[in-house]
Amino acid sequence: MLRKYSNHRTQSDNIKLGALTAFSAGMVNVASVTVFFAFTSNITGYYAVLAQELSKGNWYQGAVVLLWILLFFIGSFLSNFVIIQGKGRWSQYISHAIPVILEFLSILFVGLYLDFFYENSLKETEILVGALAFAMGLQNGLTASISNSVVKTTHLTGLTTDLAILVSMFSKRENRRNQALVDKFHLLLTIMLTYVAGGLFGGLGYLYLENGTFYLTCAILLIIALYDFYKIGRIKRIFERRNREVVPASY
Amino acid sequence: MSRDVLVNLNYLLVAILLIGASIVVMHFESPERLIQGEWVETAWRLEKDNVSSTAGEQLQAGLRKEILQNVENLHLGVWRFDEDGTLQSATTAQKSEMEWIIKGRGHVLELRRAGKTVESFQIQQISKDRLVLHLNFDLQVKGIIEIVLERKERTDQYAKKI
Repeated sequence: MLRKYSNHRTQSDNIKLGALTAFSAGMVNVASVTVFFAFTSNITGYYAVLAQELSKGNWYQGAVVLLWILLFFIGSFLSNFVIIQGKGRWSQYISHAIPVILEFLSILFVGLYLDFFYENSLKETEILVGALAFAMGLQNGLTASISNSVVKTTHLTGLTTDLAILVSMFSKRENRRNQALVDKFHLLLTIMLTYVAGGLFGGLGYLYLENGTFYLTCAILLIIALYDFYKIGRIKRIFERRNREVVPASY
Repeated sequence: MSRDVLVNLNYLLVAILLIGASIVVMHFESPERLIQGEWVETAWRLEKDNVSSTAGEQLQAGLRKEILQNVENLHLGVWRFDEDGTLQSATTAQKSEMEWIIKGRGHVLELRRAGKTVESFQIQQISKDRLVLHLNFDLQVKGIIEIVLERKERTDQYAKKI
């Protein structure tokens, strides 16, 4: 899911990464609305809200929204920064896993803070929503960066547009036989459905798990980060075994 | 202008926006601070979104009665938002035991009793003198109750003037 880059990624890699990250983004977004009355991955909406607040002369609220947008920006910036700066310094898997780990830590911080320190003040709400916006920026930056912008898990405006374009393209028979277009359609549809499923799960899950919803998201992120660690380990073991088998035979 | 300069300008712009927004958040009065004090209810208006104006007028009286019955406990007269997060009615001696919390970007006012949410209002406008709250209702018709409140000191000064 994480160790391959750009065109080396398979459809299966992208679907797994897209589905899991979109599911976690949907969960975080809905849990955040339930707890804080604020979205965390709805950046398009925040640009409109920013303009609205500024036009009403609500400088404070406008500044808060601008900070959330900037934190999302910094998250995406940091993701790609780690990926491109890490090239040649450490393994590709490590570069790709660092943003997931940072996202994991941000969401874990929110869950722990809600459980042990939260006093329902506005300042705390603003900071915690900021931490989640940063986490969503990290995630969107990572998925878009490593998949050559094929996977964008929180960008549902663009995704809906792309889906609509693909559906209209399928009105021509030759396009229906184009495997690249069909694969893209499957990927986008998977992201859309898992995002909605994550949202539903986040909303319903919050009724039973409350702040545990954030820990559950952390668990999904751990699966994403450690899946390739397990895979790399398995491949290494297979190679070592083959090596052991081949080397004595050559003597 | 060279690309290097443009890239540096990009970083500078992000830094300026970040610092500027942080300064505003740190030094401007937040809705949580602005709301503290006593506010006098000056208007309760019903605004429906799926009824024609003539039918609306006919419905208005009956609806108002029903809706107001449902939000009777919110008809406080004078709302006193204390710093410790409690909401009192300054017109009645009885303690309301309600708590107030501001959420989102400072645009949602939540009232709670014994930890359970009683009502959530959209803060439509908040300034030193005026507070406008919107409450969504869905009784017979969908719509909004607009509650307009004014800072008590301001209404007292106006009464003295008269």
